Amino acid sequence: MAKKIKAVVKVQIQAGKATAAPPVGTALGPHGINMGQFIKEYNERTAPLSGTVVPAVVTVFEDRSYTFIIKSPPAADLIRKEAGIEKGSGQPNKNKVGKLTRAKVRSIAETKMADLNANTIESAMKMIEGTARSMGVEITG
Amino acid sequence: MRGPRPLTRWLEIAVPAHAEAVEAVSEILTRIGHNGIAVDMPTVGAGGRGAETGDYTVKAYLLADADAFAKVSDARDALGHLQAFGLGPIGELAVRTIDDEDWLAAWKASLAPIRVGAFLVRPTWSDADAAGAIALALDPGMAFGTGLHPTTQQCLEALSTLPVEGLRVLDVGTGSGILAIAAAKRGAREVVAVDVDPLAVAAAAENAERNGTRVAVRQGSAADVAGAFDLVLANLVGPVLLAVASHLRARVAPAGRLVAAGIVRDAEAGVRDAFARVGLRLVEREERDDWVRLVLTA
Repeated sequence: MAKKIKAVVKVQIQAGKATAAPPVGTALGPHGINMGQFIKEYNERTAPLSGTVVPAVVTVFEDRSYTFIIKSPPAADLIRKEAGIEKGSGQPNKNKVGKLTRAKVRSIAETKMADLNANTIESAMKMIEGTARSMGVEITG
Repeated sequence: MRGPRPLTRWLEIAVPAHAEAVEAVSEILTRIGHNGIAVDMPTVGAGGRGAETGDYTVKAYLLADADAFAKVSDARDALGHLQAFGLGPIGELAVRTIDDEDWLAAWKASLAPIRVGAFLVRPTWSDADAAGAIALALDPGMAFGTGLHPTTQQCLEALSTLPVEGLRVLDVGTGSGILAIAAAKRGAREVVAVDVDPLAVAAAAENAERNGTRVAVRQGSAADVAGAFDLVLANLVGPVLLAVASHLRARVAPAGRLVAAGIVRDAEAGVRDAFARVGLRLVEREERDDWVRLVLTA
């Protein structure tokens, strides 16, 4: 019989750099999972991706056991890379810091599709567009 | 050196968000969060899939210092713009203060003493009775190897059954030093432990001393050790085992044994081939939770 799920938590941290400090400790500790084990497993599995942010979705079961899945990089990281910018705008409605073509938006949406909880590519694109615009990145084309 | 340290206080910033807005809210909170963010996801299906419109809460944590409230204010401003970009609705940003102890206690509670083979691995703050087992006291915060990971357990079990007394033992990639200490406690004549990570070297040396064992801990890899050992322990990962296979072989004395662990099942064939090529013969194989442990002989 399938185990009962207690919580699903995504942690979005630097590959290979998980520690018991926040956000991992604060987000997962209260669910009673074996933190030392999670930290080791996350760091081992993400070590080859060092230098990037690697989200992991952790499913915690009622018996405190857990599984986790490594996800694609955050949308914001893909947007920054494609738009060639270091960081988003603090005032996205006034200060535009970069541009992204709709084709690039589609490409990012396709990369992220499985992780976005979107049922269609159009709704995934809408999320990517909105995220990009909230960072001060204009959508063109 | 030890003693109560000042309590660190953190601010938890929590923003409920519609699925559509999660990535954008995450981006904003990542700007202020310590080391990244976390997202509480709906528990609909494994991994939260199928929860397109479910409720998410994006959380960031920052040290409660003099700049904290200015950062929170910046985040609040940025979140205020989100509605203009056609994403789903978000809720009010909530701030609460949490102490280190709040989550450290939960973490420590998850690190109860654990019996593995002939050993009782307990955190340094626990005074659990070993009840006939060989006690290993380790501070899990310091380095890998707390006795909780399947690969560490597999190696401790090997150390419980293999002959160790009176032997020369080498532990490659010692981490916290747990396996080296276990070998010393089982009566090894001499234990050498190496790790490329200087933090691990310091942790292993301290743990060995704390456990009253004599372990020669040095920084380096299998290639940096000379001589032959009756028992070589290598709880590493598949790619590293492949890279150091010949060096491990060179350290195994005639009729000596190598315990190799940290091998995910998918990597097993490659690792076994590499060991066979350098003249190591498989004696025993054990698998747990997709992790494979091999015992080989020269």
